[in-house]
Amino acid sequence: MMRKVKYSIALLLMTLLLGAPLHVSAEINPQFAPDTDGIDTDGDGDPNNDHVFIHLAAGDGMVNMADGKLQYIFSYSDVTGMSNEMVAMSGMLGATFPAPTIEVDEGQVLFLSLTNVGMFLRPDLFDPHTVHWHGFPQAAPVFDGVPDSSISINMGSTLTYYYNVVEEGTFMYHCHVEATEHMQMGMLANLWVNPRQNNLPDGTDLNGFTHHTGYQYAYNDGDGSTYYDVDYPIQFHSFDTDFHDASLNVQPLPFALMKEEYAMFNGRGYPDTVDPNVLYNTAGDEGYDPQGNRPSQKVNSLITATVGQKILLRMSSLSTVEHFTVTSTLPVPMHVVGEGARLLRGPDGKDTSYRTRSITLGGGEARDVIIDTTGVAAGTYALYTTNLNFLSNNQEDFGGMMTEIHLTAP
Amino acid sequence: MSKRTTGLMTLGLALAVCVGTPAADAMIPGISGTSPNPTFNLSVKTGYIATPDGGSYLVWGYAEDPNAMQYPGPTLIVHQGDTVTVNLTNALTVPASMVFPGHVVTATGGSPGLLTSEADPNGGTVTYSFTATHAGTYMYHSGTNPELQIEMGLVGALIVRPTGFNHMAPTAYAHPDSAYDREVLFLETEMDPNIHIAVEQGDPVPLDEWWAVNWFLNGRCAPDTMLAVKNPLLPHQPYNCMPMIHPGEKLLMRLISAGRDSHPFHTHGNNFDIIARDGRLLQSAPGAGADLLVSDFTITVPPGGTADTIFTWTGAGLGWDIYGHDPNDPLEPDEYAPDHGKPFPVTLPTDQELTFGGMWSGSPFLGLLGTLPPGEGGNNPNAGYTYMWHSHNEKEMVNNNIFPGGLMTMLMIVDHSVMIMH
Repeated sequence: MMRKVKYSIALLLMTLLLGAPLHVSAEINPQFAPDTDGIDTDGDGDPNNDHVFIHLAAGDGMVNMADGKLQYIFSYSDVTGMSNEMVAMSGMLGATFPAPTIEVDEGQVLFLSLTNVGMFLRPDLFDPHTVHWHGFPQAAPVFDGVPDSSISINMGSTLTYYYNVVEEGTFMYHCHVEATEHMQMGMLANLWVNPRQNNLPDGTDLNGFTHHTGYQYAYNDGDGSTYYDVDYPIQFHSFDTDFHDASLNVQPLPFALMKEEYAMFNGRGYPDTVDPNVLYNTAGDEGYDPQGNRPSQKVNSLITATVGQKILLRMSSLSTVEHFTVTSTLPVPMHVVGEGARLLRGPDGKDTSYRTRSITLGGGEARDVIIDTTGVAAGTYALYTTNLNFLSNNQEDFGGMMTEIHLTAP
Repeated sequence: MSKRTTGLMTLGLALAVCVGTPAADAMIPGISGTSPNPTFNLSVKTGYIATPDGGSYLVWGYAEDPNAMQYPGPTLIVHQGDTVTVNLTNALTVPASMVFPGHVVTATGGSPGLLTSEADPNGGTVTYSFTATHAGTYMYHSGTNPELQIEMGLVGALIVRPTGFNHMAPTAYAHPDSAYDREVLFLETEMDPNIHIAVEQGDPVPLDEWWAVNWFLNGRCAPDTMLAVKNPLLPHQPYNCMPMIHPGEKLLMRLISAGRDSHPFHTHGNNFDIIARDGRLLQSAPGAGADLLVSDFTITVPPGGTADTIFTWTGAGLGWDIYGHDPNDPLEPDEYAPDHGKPFPVTLPTDQELTFGGMWSGSPFLGLLGTLPPGEGGNNPNAGYTYMWHSHNEKEMVNNNIFPGGLMTMLMIVDHSVMIMH
């Protein structure tokens, strides 16, 4: 009975939002300026494609944990290219976890329009939202997304962020409005910038390393030392199931009791981490979503490579409570080449990269890790947390913060 | 934020941004003896501290005689090579002591304890002596039942200035790689009020059920971190954590992880360079300077550890003029010239579509106020840029179940025409 009442309030909200098209068009107002300067700032040979547009909707959604538990979330969804009417339809209860991955190139300019579509299952909430590009160099508050320092966007409206992408590296992004709550609820995702070095002419000499078209690097290393064959984001996060349930059931939020219960890579617990498909939630089946079961978890953590390839793991953590330590069963160490979206190299060129068997990250930390699989036997290996209690999906043993590395023979 | 806290913040910030002093006087508050033999007379006393959620908790703290206790203890500032003497008097009903990690300490008097000699309860004394051989950022804390006594508040900072330190051109170590314009202390602690209530009531202390719900920078929870130093509303919490710089200045961040948890400390606005850990420059060889420095946007200092980092900001490369200049306007100091005169790149939504932060000046430009609806703003009269600096284990940005708060403060960057008082 309770569910059906919320359902009709939500439908009413949706009707109001969509019922006056002119009103909606004026407020869902994505902004984008085409690239007309004639300068090839990202170095890919085309001077007219340096401006990139992404449109995100911010609101609520639902995802299933690996043990089947349906959890209420706040996050973003990708509504790039949709008409204004579709933005609301798609965005409301359409948030995905993690939020859409943002991948841009050094030298590009990103226009990121953020539309707040409200909370479908919590129509009593009027939370504004922001986007915080975590680690953006020399940021100005207006586009940094901290609500106390700047502005955040109210329901039914759109704020466009502008990022002149001048540095490569592995970053992350998340909402900073009521950060403890919105981040625990899942409003976060992977973000990285490819270096301009990727676009060098074929045959360029990099201090003894020869670049070829198609080669990719983590940083503008100038010597090929951060070359990789395949890259994967690995973002650490965890849900407190009581917190998410309290949010759904309009209860006071237990901040002081916050704990990690569903530890995840990229928004999934094992074995969902190795499912290559988009995962659909059961929100339709369970009566929450009039649109039915929607695609809600689009990022898996399955790592595949052939023996001899270099794997770049773009590791980050946006967890809200604990530090997590991760290791692998591979017989080779992890080479940490980047930290805090910077190449590990001293100011006069000394190599400060290091090899390790484990990576420990607290919230807001990022590391670029290259694994050289030369000489490793083909097979299936594990990347997993050594905080062994988190190899679980809440009470379900075994699962949690673990994924697989599939090495095939070349 | 409630009206009351907004009002307090206005008061505090107004005090902080007043008549100016040269940048080189922007030092961390503390007590200094007379080099080369500084002597500190400290006591261990009880007192109460306040948290913004309305908490009032019994704490044990170090005090500079004859003053009341403070949390954290007084920041001791000495010079490299000094022979430091600390005379400790214990007013508690249990033994207490001091240890100085990173230093070889000789204790005289007192009674033997596990880690060091201890001052007996009810007025007992002990004297500690050590040579401050290396410059850097250190901590001191009780060596008696530290699992309880550090939680109760017996912790403080020790700063050793390098040989040849010149306060007009300060360095953290005896190398120009550690040069800075202003310095700020970030002493991170956490607290479980149940421990303090049990001690106050004389009940068994449930250390095995320890569960932190308050988090502190320099002894205050946000937003009190942003009130002025020695704010009369916080008589036992004299220090604040309110970094303020001009564009282009170097801020030395002295981080101390003084509790039992790890806190990933994140600086909005820019990366910082980690130049030293635990009182030693990250150098490839003595005299090489910080040639092994690491840049990051978040740093976890492990419990008991310290780190020194250098932060700076100019707004370079944003692609628009942060001052809102016309192309014909003169350049500001440290302005990124290639962006001079470039227009703001998007149209911001109308007032009714936005929620305004308390530190929003009304305009996206540095040094320019904009119009705001009635009741908004007022906390940023110099139209500075503010950046939240905080623990990124977001649970720690809470005051005993009330968001926002905890291990958080703001960096304020003001344009060069605004003087920064210290």
